[in-house]
Amino acid sequence: MLLEARNLHIGYGDAPAVWDVSLDVDGGEIVSVIGPNGAGKTTLINAIAGMLRSRRGTLRFDGADMTRVSAHAYCGHGIALVPEGRRLFAKMSVEENLELGCYLPAARVARAQSLDRVYGLFPILRDKRRQLAGELSGGQQQMVAIGRALMARPRIVLFDEPSLGLAPTIVDDMFEIIARVRAEGAAVLLVEQNVLKALEIADRAYVLEQGRIVAQGLPADLLKQPQIREAYLGV
Amino acid sequence: MPSATLLGQALISGVLAGGLYGLLAMGLSLSWGLLRLVNLSHFALAFLAAYLVYELGTNYHVEPWWSAALIVPAMFAIGVAQHWLFDKFKVNELASLLITFSFAIILEVGIQLYWTADFRRYETEYATRSLKAGPFYIPILDLTLCLVAGALAWGTWLWLRCTYVGKALRAAAEDPGIAAAYGVDHKKLAYLLSGIGAAYAGIAGTFIALIATLAPAQIWAYLGVVFAVVIIGRLGNPLGALLAGLLIGASESIAMAVLAPAWAPVVSFSVLIAILLWDPEWL
Repeated sequence: MLLEARNLHIGYGDAPAVWDVSLDVDGGEIVSVIGPNGAGKTTLINAIAGMLRSRRGTLRFDGADMTRVSAHAYCGHGIALVPEGRRLFAKMSVEENLELGCYLPAARVARAQSLDRVYGLFPILRDKRRQLAGELSGGQQQMVAIGRALMARPRIVLFDEPSLGLAPTIVDDMFEIIARVRAEGAAVLLVEQNVLKALEIADRAYVLEQGRIVAQGLPADLLKQPQIREAYLGV
Repeated sequence: MPSATLLGQALISGVLAGGLYGLLAMGLSLSWGLLRLVNLSHFALAFLAAYLVYELGTNYHVEPWWSAALIVPAMFAIGVAQHWLFDKFKVNELASLLITFSFAIILEVGIQLYWTADFRRYETEYATRSLKAGPFYIPILDLTLCLVAGALAWGTWLWLRCTYVGKALRAAAEDPGIAAAYGVDHKKLAYLLSGIGAAYAGIAGTFIALIATLAPAQIWAYLGVVFAVVIIGRLGNPLGALLAGLLIGASESIAMAVLAPAWAPVVSFSVLIAILLWDPEWL
């Protein structure tokens, strides 16, 4: 297993937002976590990215225990986050945002190669590379956020609500990009409210409700469960 | 209306005096803009450095440039130590204002105990030298100060723009969490930046020793105008700080020549308010 979360309890302040969550992602897999707003999806993915500490449980990545690893060292292990709301460095140029992705020495040596790859994936970003990231459209900002993650040459990319706030046509593009990220060798952990899309693309999926995993399995099997169809697809 | 020569001389003196504003503003602007710490003790550190240059020069006959070579690294260490305290007590923007204010008071009292409240003047041969360009005089020391300030501002700006460390600092100022997720160890970089800010105070202090008369209460003399300069120059922008310093210096000096010396303090804040109201795109 590439990523192994066992019995994670994560919370802000007194109230844990995620209880006893176990989750696996194998190399080259796309795993989706679906669930309603406020279920703890972002909390979970932030903990896996190292931005939040879990209070209990273990997180292992490629065999290494990540529990004691400091936040800024997660990236060096090969974990890259495409955060909710993109969280670009708005006052920095597009290219500077991408360069922050390869801040660590191991990724930095491949800067030119990685930039070519990202600009190949998103040609529009090459034209806009001197522009401030904050001035781009939502879709373009999402491209920068994904590009920044790819610059780190990650082994797993964590996507947090990548389709949120994007025009429907761009949403399709985003999912295509996610599929390509996997095709190029990285595993993907995807957290989404767009349930149909997230299940369509995934190899396996988890359903997170009120901080707990309530169902897991193959997307096709989950789609057959009446309570999931009712809750998420409205049919 | 004063003569053109007088106005020209006022402009030159003002721009040169503005170099000191810019130099003092740079360190303040860096820590305020990039670390969200408002370091009021910056002025006290500059004066501590100035007194040390004075002391070494007057009592031990050490050339000011050699003193600076000693004092500036020491200031860097003080900056690092200061940040250790900020870090340990998780100081935020407002708290930093209060804490560094008390630092400044402590330093002021310390300076007063050792050097007394008397005015001190470090006499050097440099103070009287100047270049003559047509009808205008350009004091060598002020010119050197401006060149040093210019080189530092330009160098620091390039450092922030073009190096990974500089970019990481700017990124962490915008979103420390995401910067960390991409491997930026903000804590370590913050120590470096605090050291650099304090070292700049040391450089400014060296020049203060050479061109100004020292008294403990003078620590506060630059506070208002340098704050205006920091804000006009945009937080975290060393080049902006220097340009704003030159602008304010020149405006003050022109106001003194055209109106009356008493008008000088009004100028910096009038320029600040005017620029904030105007709100130009580059700000």
